[in-house]
Amino acid sequence: MGKNIVNLTINPCKMCMPMGAVSAFYGINKCMTLIHGSQGCSTYIRRHMATHYNEPIDIASSSLTEEGTVYGGEKNLINGLKNLISLYSPTVIGISTTCLAETIGEDVPRIIDNFYEQNPDCNVKIINVSSAGYEGTQYEGFFKTLCAIVKNVEMDITPNNKVNIITPLISPSDTRYLKDVFEKFGIDYVLLPDISENLDGGYIKKYNKLPDGGTKIEDIAKMGGATLTIEFSKFTHDEISAAAYLQEKYGVPYIRLPLPVGIRDTDLLIQSLEKFTGIKAPKSINKQRERYLDAMIDSHKYNAQGRAVIFGEPDFIYSASRLCCENGIVPVIVATGTRCDTLTNALDDEIKKIAKNVFVDEYKILSNTDFDLIESEALRLGANIMIGSSDARRIEEKHGITLIRCAFPIHDQIGGQRVRTFGYDGSLDLLDRITNALLFKKDSSFRENLYNEFYKGDKYISTSKSKTFSQKAMERTVTHPCYNACGTENARMHLPIAPKCNISCNYCVRKFDCPNESRPGVTTKVLTPQDALEKYKVAKEKVPHLSVVGIAGPGDALANWENTKNTLSLIRAYDPDVTFCVSTNGLMLPMYADEMVSLGVTHVTVTCNAVNPSVGSKIYRYINYMGTKYEGETGAAILMANQLSGIKMLCERGAMCKVNIVMVKGINDFHIEEIVDTVKSLGVFMTNIMPMIPVAGSVFENMPLTNNKELTLLRNKCGQSLKQMYHCKQCRADAIGTLEGDQSIDFQDYQSDSNKEQIEKVRFAVISKSGILVDQHFGHATQVYIYDYENGEAKYIEKRSCKKYCEGQENCDDKFDKFEEIVKSMKDCKAVLCMRIGDIPSKKLAEQGIKVITTYDKIETAIAQSIKDYRRELI
Amino acid sequence: MSFKDNILEKYSARVYKNRKNHIIVKDENVQEITANTRTIPGIMTNRGCCYAGCKGVVVGPLKDVAVITHGPIGCSFYTWGTRRNKAKGDNNTKNFLEYSFSTDLQETDIVFGGEKKLRQAIKEVVDIFNPVSIMICSTCPVGLIGDDIHAVASEAQNKYGISVIAFSCEGYKGVSQSGGHHIANNGIMKNIIGTSDRPLKKFSVNILGEYNIGGDGWEISRVLNRIGYDIVSIMTGDGSFEELQTAHKADLNLVQCHRSINYIAEMFKTKYGTNWIKVNFIGLDAIVQTLRDIAKYFNDEELTARTEAVIEEELFLVEEDVSYFRNKLKGKTAALYVGGSRAHHYQGLLKDIGIDTVLAGYEFAHRDDYEGREVLPYVKEDADSKNIEEIKVVPDEKNYRVMLTPEQYDELKKEIPLEDYAGMLKEMPNGSIIVDDLNHFETEEFIRILKPDIFFSGIKDKYVSQKAGVLSKQLHSYDYSGPYAGFRGAVNFARDITMGIYTPAWGYVKAPWNNKPVLTGTMGGDA
Repeated sequence: MGKNIVNLTINPCKMCMPMGAVSAFYGINKCMTLIHGSQGCSTYIRRHMATHYNEPIDIASSSLTEEGTVYGGEKNLINGLKNLISLYSPTVIGISTTCLAETIGEDVPRIIDNFYEQNPDCNVKIINVSSAGYEGTQYEGFFKTLCAIVKNVEMDITPNNKVNIITPLISPSDTRYLKDVFEKFGIDYVLLPDISENLDGGYIKKYNKLPDGGTKIEDIAKMGGATLTIEFSKFTHDEISAAAYLQEKYGVPYIRLPLPVGIRDTDLLIQSLEKFTGIKAPKSINKQRERYLDAMIDSHKYNAQGRAVIFGEPDFIYSASRLCCENGIVPVIVATGTRCDTLTNALDDEIKKIAKNVFVDEYKILSNTDFDLIESEALRLGANIMIGSSDARRIEEKHGITLIRCAFPIHDQIGGQRVRTFGYDGSLDLLDRITNALLFKKDSSFRENLYNEFYKGDKYISTSKSKTFSQKAMERTVTHPCYNACGTENARMHLPIAPKCNISCNYCVRKFDCPNESRPGVTTKVLTPQDALEKYKVAKEKVPHLSVVGIAGPGDALANWENTKNTLSLIRAYDPDVTFCVSTNGLMLPMYADEMVSLGVTHVTVTCNAVNPSVGSKIYRYINYMGTKYEGETGAAILMANQLSGIKMLCERGAMCKVNIVMVKGINDFHIEEIVDTVKSLGVFMTNIMPMIPVAGSVFENMPLTNNKELTLLRNKCGQSLKQMYHCKQCRADAIGTLEGDQSIDFQDYQSDSNKEQIEKVRFAVISKSGILVDQHFGHATQVYIYDYENGEAKYIEKRSCKKYCEGQENCDDKFDKFEEIVKSMKDCKAVLCMRIGDIPSKKLAEQGIKVITTYDKIETAIAQSIKDYRRELI
Repeated sequence: MSFKDNILEKYSARVYKNRKNHIIVKDENVQEITANTRTIPGIMTNRGCCYAGCKGVVVGPLKDVAVITHGPIGCSFYTWGTRRNKAKGDNNTKNFLEYSFSTDLQETDIVFGGEKKLRQAIKEVVDIFNPVSIMICSTCPVGLIGDDIHAVASEAQNKYGISVIAFSCEGYKGVSQSGGHHIANNGIMKNIIGTSDRPLKKFSVNILGEYNIGGDGWEISRVLNRIGYDIVSIMTGDGSFEELQTAHKADLNLVQCHRSINYIAEMFKTKYGTNWIKVNFIGLDAIVQTLRDIAKYFNDEELTARTEAVIEEELFLVEEDVSYFRNKLKGKTAALYVGGSRAHHYQGLLKDIGIDTVLAGYEFAHRDDYEGREVLPYVKEDADSKNIEEIKVVPDEKNYRVMLTPEQYDELKKEIPLEDYAGMLKEMPNGSIIVDDLNHFETEEFIRILKPDIFFSGIKDKYVSQKAGVLSKQLHSYDYSGPYAGFRGAVNFARDITMGIYTPAWGYVKAPWNNKPVLTGTMGGDA
């Protein structure tokens, strides 16, 4: 899942490589950074870092101008280095290249060589990192820089007792925590990088323009001889990993640990250190763990209401998500602007589990995304807290979703450098902030909610879903693919047992049978209740996770109530666990609602396209109610009254109601929000706004098609008041399988196996595009497949080519020649199977004694079916 | 060793030679400063880039325009809501200032060109936001890979029927953000002003170079509206595309920030005959003078009377507060290093509250901003300035108006700053220091030597100053405060400075156990 739009980034959730590079260099002792490019890059980055860390941020620039883009930036870079050295006397200079330098192809290593040549006395270590802004985000820039640092330092590979620690961008405060823990275990470490002092300096008497902190080059030189590297990242790549490089080049083994946030990942760090040192964790650490655990228990009941949006760099969001999960907070959106393919795998199981616990249907893990998508998804999924940098402050302001600021950059509050999330006590700090934000929200709204719900009672149905829907319906919702968007592995089966319909909608024609016409109202064949049971039995064996049986027409389930009732009773007797789902236009709903509920129907979908008769009259041509045909507004009014009272009855009886709305541009699109509000007040669980599919032959055949954007906009708008279905596939009336994979074609002729018989050879001509299915219009055929039916089996004989006979209107005159040719090519056949055919060719073929059969099916099945249907004519 | 040499001794000979011409110790002679030249690499300048001047400063504040940054993600992220130019949308005017739009170019786009992506991004902006205008600002790599953003813009303009304007403001152009101002001025003049109509109204003005930082523009508008001026457009704080379209219908242009917008003022004069005067709404004396100047230009008895009445009333309301703060601040000294006009404007306000300016410097100003417009004929253009296009405008047949007879013009010019800016230098007392393109190293040195009580600058040197023990105040963003313009703004400013100077924390800088005893002596008769 990426962004909803592809070429435009709206409100970025990432920064550029040089930002990461500069941040990493800040953790090196006596290091100055020079950004090679135009001076804006340096100015912007300084401005952003200074705001977050509240420290002087000195980053030089080679200040390239237009001349530099033509003649190269060597002169500027060398002068820049000289000036930087004379003013700041650093021991190390990091050079980070920009888009500009990389695009003009600056050879920075060569320029550095030239610089040393011109300044033989210079003993400043110059480290170059290639960091074009278009090559990656600050996340990659940071690791890439650490890697460049390690590669550029001559290692002293004499084995030592040191442990290398490599971190992504973490706060100075968290850096201090890490140092402290390693010291507590008596481990001699080299921390790369160490920003603990340089980006969080105290107030001292004399301001030092080159701070004292950071990892010294002589310490980095020991990394090659260390016993172990611990890299705190789950998502870095080997090619930009200093740990992987140290192993490859110097044989220093490494382990990768997640950031020590939350109880499990802090445990993991402590255990690893215990194992490595053979020393038991000191008492103070155990005490911290006890306190965090105590806090987790203290706040669990408030946390269960948390629906979090967590965004930022991959390692941060991974850790924050795990902290939320272990505290019962569902991360409904986990998002990073970085491209991170492994994120979903790393988090999906965990979130799925916690989501299931608290009946959250849907969550999203987004990589390479922007805040525009995060915002719309946050609203849709009902997020009530956000965790990350201050970049979501606009969402907070606009929608009142509290933002916990705990990652770089924080622009609108102070203390970014002191944010603690590491260790048991850091996790506790973060958890307290989250819980308190949830409590604040609850405290500021719960009196009114209570009053309205319990004292006034008038909003009972709409505000408290869990009480309205029966426990059975709730449980079954989890396994229903249409109601639970995540549960795509759950399959449903639509049984086409209801041929008749009692209303006439202007968008509907129910005469086609063709899987290309995949939409409601379409089926290949109508079944009797007994057939339906048999079909269910077969499907149940073959389709794993078949958990739902739906009656979706092709007409209206309630207009064929006897069939529907019998089918459901039969299947219920065979499979007590199956979930029943019925779709209806609702005209007969008040009459059968009670009976439906007692039959165990837990899910009902009612299609309501209007709640106002004048709008309705434009959509419904007529209704057929109690034997009388009503047209216009009268018909629409009766239909609507019955729909609404029927829905109310169902909801009161604990059924889960979904309302389908067919959006017809210019007819009811402006009216849909009203429909949603109306059905919401009756207790409907969700609405499914679908675009109308203009069908040839229907009254609306020439109506404009609704585009996806309009649809999404409307769904988002309505989503603010009622849950929306975003994953509707507008299934056929005989669909089987998961929403993603319709397998109905495999089940159409479930009986044919048992009905094989011995008959004489019959030759068929088959019009097929694919050679597998009867799937082509007769007039479009360029080849004819010849099959013989013999001994109960269809056998492929040969392929005969012919000229396409229909070229459209312009060449209509000469088509008879071609037609003759086709007829010739199938002269020896008894019948021709095709998907569609025109009237005239059909008649002509009949004159030639060739039976025309139109169908859509597997070739073998279609032939067997033809034999069954037309045996007298064919044999 | 002279004062200057004291500061500059650490520089290499070459840098010394360069920097010494950027620093002046004011004396009674006519002095020349070097400005608007290339930044010395590696010297920790505070200057920004061309893109910052165009997108960040001039076109960014237009609220109803969707500005797409065409380039890799950084540039767009770094200009997302980072300047405190406030704006308010209403039913008729959308407000996109909370948004950052970018084409987020990737490596493949750099190799194969980004035009296609830009075209699609424009389409998506139109589909989703339906703005009245789209502006495209290009970043460094775009200029290098040769995307023709102007062709894409005009194609999109025809296709969608809205104004689509491209700005080739690649970061490397010019020597600072100043080049970007010029490019933005050209684009606005060429493509927006004069594209829509409105009836002429009495006493109508445009405010040029007011970006509504911390609500400054709102305070200024409040005062002007009280007097009875009709504000046709504000360029560009809280400004809108639709206002700009009709700006040519104003009678007078008021230039607040001379540096960033004087190009438009001049082109206006050529094309529509509209005169401009330099105004200053910062500081009580300054705003009073400015209001009188404007009234003089219109020369209407009733307007003049209303001007005086409003001045009297506004002053009366703030006077007590200001004098209270003046008492608390009297005798303090300040150093100012900011922008291309604020370092001048704020000196008046500081004087109002009893603070003397000992050092002032601009980041990206030109010589005329220091020495006055009379030096313009003598300013040598270097290659970097020549690369910024100068556009030629001709009198507009339909809308050109003659506002003043030559006699009136000459007469007025004697009294008010009609098409003139005298610059910062003249107003500063002898002995004060003027520095162009101040850098971190010099900042520290000056703070060490001058020991000002307050250092006014931006976020990048804020912490340098604070770590050195000197109160810092950001004059780019006002440290989340404002407005500081106009009458009420002056009170806000005085209160904020007083609050800063009297902050208790400064009193604890020295730990008690580090205190040496005040008196030292010996016991008994040993001595």
